Amino acid sequence: MGRNGKLSNVYLAVVFAILYAPIAYLIFYSFNSGGHMRGFEGFTLEWYREVFADTRLLIIVLNTFIIALLSSAISTILGVAGALAIYHVRRKRTKNTLLSLNNVLIVSPDVIIGASFLILFTMIGIKLGFTSVLLSHIAFSVPIVVIMVLPKLQEMSPTLMDAARDLGAGSWQILTRVVLPYVKPGIFAGFFMALTYSLDDFAVTFFVTGNGYSTLSVEIYSRARQGVSLSINALSTLLFLLTVLLVVGYYFINRRAARIPAGGKGLRP
Amino acid sequence: MKQLVRTFALVFVAAFALMILASYLNKSQGYSGGNTLTIYNWGDYIDPDLLKEFEQESGMKVIYQTFDSNEAMLTKIEQGGTTFDVAIPSEYAISKMKEEKLLVPIDHNKLPNLKNIDSRFLNLNYDPDNQFSIPYFWGTVGIVYNPELVGGLTFDSWNDLWDPRLKNQILLLDGAREVIGMGLNSLGYSLNDTNEDHLQAALQKLSTLTPNVRAIVGDEIKMLLANEEAAVGLVWSGDASEIMDQNDKLDYKVPEEGSNLWFDSMVIPKTAKNVDGAHQFINFMLDPDHAARNAEYVGYSTPNAEALKQLPEDISEDERFYPDETLTSKLEVYNNLGKKMLSHYNDLFLEFKMHSK
Repeated sequence: MGRNGKLSNVYLAVVFAILYAPIAYLIFYSFNSGGHMRGFEGFTLEWYREVFADTRLLIIVLNTFIIALLSSAISTILGVAGALAIYHVRRKRTKNTLLSLNNVLIVSPDVIIGASFLILFTMIGIKLGFTSVLLSHIAFSVPIVVIMVLPKLQEMSPTLMDAARDLGAGSWQILTRVVLPYVKPGIFAGFFMALTYSLDDFAVTFFVTGNGYSTLSVEIYSRARQGVSLSINALSTLLFLLTVLLVVGYYFINRRAARIPAGGKGLRP
Repeated sequence: MKQLVRTFALVFVAAFALMILASYLNKSQGYSGGNTLTIYNWGDYIDPDLLKEFEQESGMKVIYQTFDSNEAMLTKIEQGGTTFDVAIPSEYAISKMKEEKLLVPIDHNKLPNLKNIDSRFLNLNYDPDNQFSIPYFWGTVGIVYNPELVGGLTFDSWNDLWDPRLKNQILLLDGAREVIGMGLNSLGYSLNDTNEDHLQAALQKLSTLTPNVRAIVGDEIKMLLANEEAAVGLVWSGDASEIMDQNDKLDYKVPEEGSNLWFDSMVIPKTAKNVDGAHQFINFMLDPDHAARNAEYVGYSTPNAEALKQLPEDISEDERFYPDETLTSKLEVYNNLGKKMLSHYNDLFLEFKMHSK
């Protein structure tokens, strides 16, 4: 170890500095009274005040969160069901095909997904707005949840289910008392992944917003044409803090979940 | 299991709580009435107070949406799905929309304030008789430069760009018509020239500019120039005013050989549901007082002659943004060259880009 360990620590520090420098830069200038990002002139909270005075922007922020929460919750439910279905497929080839189809949706470019949704929604006459954004966010989140839950299912020993059945558990009991508690970390991971995907998605959302309904990424992008005002910095700072809180929350949930088996309670629901 | 159910119940409850809050905010804004007007505009391109005033005056609720490029706007309108009542594209997008029959003719009888528009900006090639579009803002293509770094050049002529002192100091915006147009202008030809010899000569001339060209960039050109990454930039006047707002050392000049004159104009898309309201809004924006306030807020040049009189002198007499008659007479609006010629322009521009370094 010794020298090598030190070197890798330095490397890690550099990587994190590079990752966080732009965010730190942005946060720093959100307090600049000068109104631009060259040279700090003085401390001000004016931009934060501006954010809270801009009702349209606040509505858009709320929209963004509503969509993120609803779409990730719904897609988690759908995704868990999908993962269970794929898990229970017997034939290897069908299983692989289903899994590949799922993965194709993850890697296919957002622009294409967005454009196809736009065409679909206008074709079947869904008005662009809340519904269209929600539906498309659910659609691109489901494959992510599937891929987070499926490994957990495969990791689970099949004898667990057999044992439960031997002890007289019905299918519903097996599902709610054995399978779901076992894959819970995967479900939460999927939920949080879906949440972040939905929060920062621009490409798909851009196509399916309409009629005054917009989300934050789309709004910031169209404002950026006039040069990003520092109120966007302020807003981004607030959102960054919120994500940090979310991640910390997720960390604690995970830790609690990890502690339970160690405490000897095992798989008690 | 209990924890899962509890967590997801909590998520749904939180989402619905947020929804109630959002609809409350919406109501407090009065966005929920039936009589609405949907406006589709560039980001940050209107004084928000004017929208509020219009709502009070007309009793209509304004739904305001923004786009970032003509192409994005075109896609949304072509595809339908959203009913925009008023949109504000640039003139070349308007020609395209006209061709594709995406516009509703504008009834001039409903626009008593149309008389305020300077006649220089009416009845132009891209929309004769202003059948479909009413000018909103206008501007030019010119040169932003840093007087400290260009060694006394004043850019009265495009040819100043070729000065060897500017080696590796010029940023060009990434637009075929702007750059090829600059080449044509520097030779004294029209921006809309389709003569192959003239075009080749322009390309030749541009290729000798390459030692001076530092980069060909998109929207980030504003930031780069404001941060003094380069001494000179070829930009639209609207961008120039923003750059100069950020860095007052810089100056803007439209060379005397002539340049491009561009417009962003108000149109009524075919999908409009509230055509009457759209007319009311356009007329509202043509009011001298409103147009003046809007011009002051946005910082672009207003085509409204009456509004111009109301603007403070340091704006209205700024010849960089309101050039005098001699120069305006040399400014040209882009003609719709047709698909074939346009792709030829693009090819020439690509050739130029490939050879610059």
